[in-house]
Amino acid sequence: MSVLIVEDEPHIVESLSFILQREGFAVSSAADGETALGLLHAAPPRLLILDLMLPGINGFEVLKAVKSNPALATMPVIVLTAKGQARDRRMAEDIGVDGFVTKPFSNRELVELVRTLARG
Amino acid sequence: MQCSTRASRFAGQAGPGKRFATTSGNPVPRALIGSTLRECRRALGMTQARLAAEAGISASYLNLIESNKRNIGGSLLKRIADILGVPLDELDGAAERRLADDLGALAGEPLLADLHLDPDDTSELASRHRGWAHALVRLQRAWHDRGRAVSALSDRLNQDPFLGGAVHSMLTQAAAIRSSAEILMYIDDLEPAQRQRFLAIVSDESVRLGQAAQSLAAFFDGAQTGTRSMTPVDEIDDFIIDRDNHFPELEETATDFRAAVGIVDDCRESALARYLHDTHGITVVTRPTAGSTATGPRHRASFDAESRTFTIPESAPRSTRRFELARLAVQQFRQGRAIDAALMQATQLSSDAARHRARRVLSSYLAAAVLMPYGPFLEAAQKSRYDIDYLAQRFGASFEQICHRLVALHRPGAAGIPFGLMRIDAAGFTSKRFPLPQLAVPRHGPACPMWAIYQAFLVPGTVVRQLVEFPAGDRLLFIARTVEKPRPAFTAPRRVVSLMLVCDALYADQTVYGDGLDLSSSAPVVPVGPGCRLCVRRDCLYREEDPIINA
Repeated sequence: MSVLIVEDEPHIVESLSFILQREGFAVSSAADGETALGLLHAAPPRLLILDLMLPGINGFEVLKAVKSNPALATMPVIVLTAKGQARDRRMAEDIGVDGFVTKPFSNRELVELVRTLARG
Repeated sequence: MQCSTRASRFAGQAGPGKRFATTSGNPVPRALIGSTLRECRRALGMTQARLAAEAGISASYLNLIESNKRNIGGSLLKRIADILGVPLDELDGAAERRLADDLGALAGEPLLADLHLDPDDTSELASRHRGWAHALVRLQRAWHDRGRAVSALSDRLNQDPFLGGAVHSMLTQAAAIRSSAEILMYIDDLEPAQRQRFLAIVSDESVRLGQAAQSLAAFFDGAQTGTRSMTPVDEIDDFIIDRDNHFPELEETATDFRAAVGIVDDCRESALARYLHDTHGITVVTRPTAGSTATGPRHRASFDAESRTFTIPESAPRSTRRFELARLAVQQFRQGRAIDAALMQATQLSSDAARHRARRVLSSYLAAAVLMPYGPFLEAAQKSRYDIDYLAQRFGASFEQICHRLVALHRPGAAGIPFGLMRIDAAGFTSKRFPLPQLAVPRHGPACPMWAIYQAFLVPGTVVRQLVEFPAGDRLLFIARTVEKPRPAFTAPRRVVSLMLVCDALYADQTVYGDGLDLSSSAPVVPVGPGCRLCVRRDCLYREEDPIINA
């Protein structure tokens, strides 16, 4: 099963890729919103992990594009947020996010959530 | 007031007031209260016989009291004070002593230390120059309040872009460290190269985390924090904001009211007038505009409880007339219990002035809920994509009434777009505000001159929409329009206010106001700020004032 990580912090991408690969996922990544949208349309993954604070097109907009596209809307999306603020959560919920992980997260917490949502 | 001045003078003479701190312990000699009472009674043109009769004592006994030949105190003094309409504390000198104490505190201000003010003079100042003494005390309080407000503003700025950015990067670094550290900790079969790699990440990110923390510490160095100065209006704002401007119990009462009055679809003015007349015996009359002036007392609708008459100025537009009737009707409905209950929960309100204003705000809310019932209004709003002009037509309401109602659509499970609201007059005074998390509507002073709410004055009556970006990166949609209020005469200047609804740019595509705009987050927008004093855009063309921090 494939997971796309959209995150502009390379060290986080690196450690997340490592642990998810160990769990048997095929992991790809994008460092900004534009690249992410391109990848999503070319080869939709099973699940998307999305940072909200991205350069250029931000995470909310990527989320909105995913959830308003019938071909992608059922793909589970986990949002990574460093802000952890109520309003970001509410906004992401409004748009239809499937799960949240607040930085700094534990690897196990994230892996559990990915497994649950990817299975569903 | 004449008589209380007299009372004060006695108090000043009587209380030797060696130290301001001890004056409050000195009661006015009872002997002198009699003279004060006499003076107060005469000032009112009341005979001794009448006052005695009303107080339930004999005229001869009152005469003895007034001649200072009998002591007076306790409940009789209170009764007489009530009849004369004089606060008890003015009769017995307590008000004066408090004033002297306040002046004493002023003498202790470090700022005034070099003037060597003598606290012994406060009693004399309070009694001989009462007005000036009050002025000094009031200025001192205002000065303190202002100081607190400035601290609060500084505090607010501290939480703005820099702090937000710093916290974000620290949390990101912490996330990278934690994730790598957990890999090192819990994965036993790491290859040496992988182990090395994750150790390097932990090391790099730790250095960056330390730097971020240091820059934060430097930023806070010397920054002050403080509590905000509170006025009744501020308290009501806080109350409304705490409740997210949504009152389910009032929405329910509105439904009950409509059922009780038999309103099915549109709520007509005639139905409200009939309800007021039939159920509460209230007659609605129109007051002619002729003869009224801009500063006269007769502009607002007014209810006279004694004659059961509700008077509405002739100049009020239809939507205003209907709204005023609805407000009075909901105040009468079940003795206004729903409003009382909502007020009971408003623990923020510390003064009668605040509660009085809050009652009006809640009555207006309930009236709006009657005229624009939640379900149909939300449905119409969503269907018309929040077209305010359409909604005004559909519900027979004014542009402003629609804006207010849109800001209340926060029912869990059936919420509309979260809107913020702001209203200013031509002088830039903010007379209504409902902020959003992303948008601090200024309490005091102007906001950013680039905001659509100001631009709207240039094209009166036309909706001005604007996509803006704040320094912290928040993108918002501004929808502004001016509204002209009726004025009584040619000599009265035009009365124009500007209203602005605000929502996150992400909701713009759900409104007609987003049509034709490039809503992508990389599209160019107007780079606004929260107002010069709080804004970090140092070289802005529109800057008129230095920022209060890091100027």
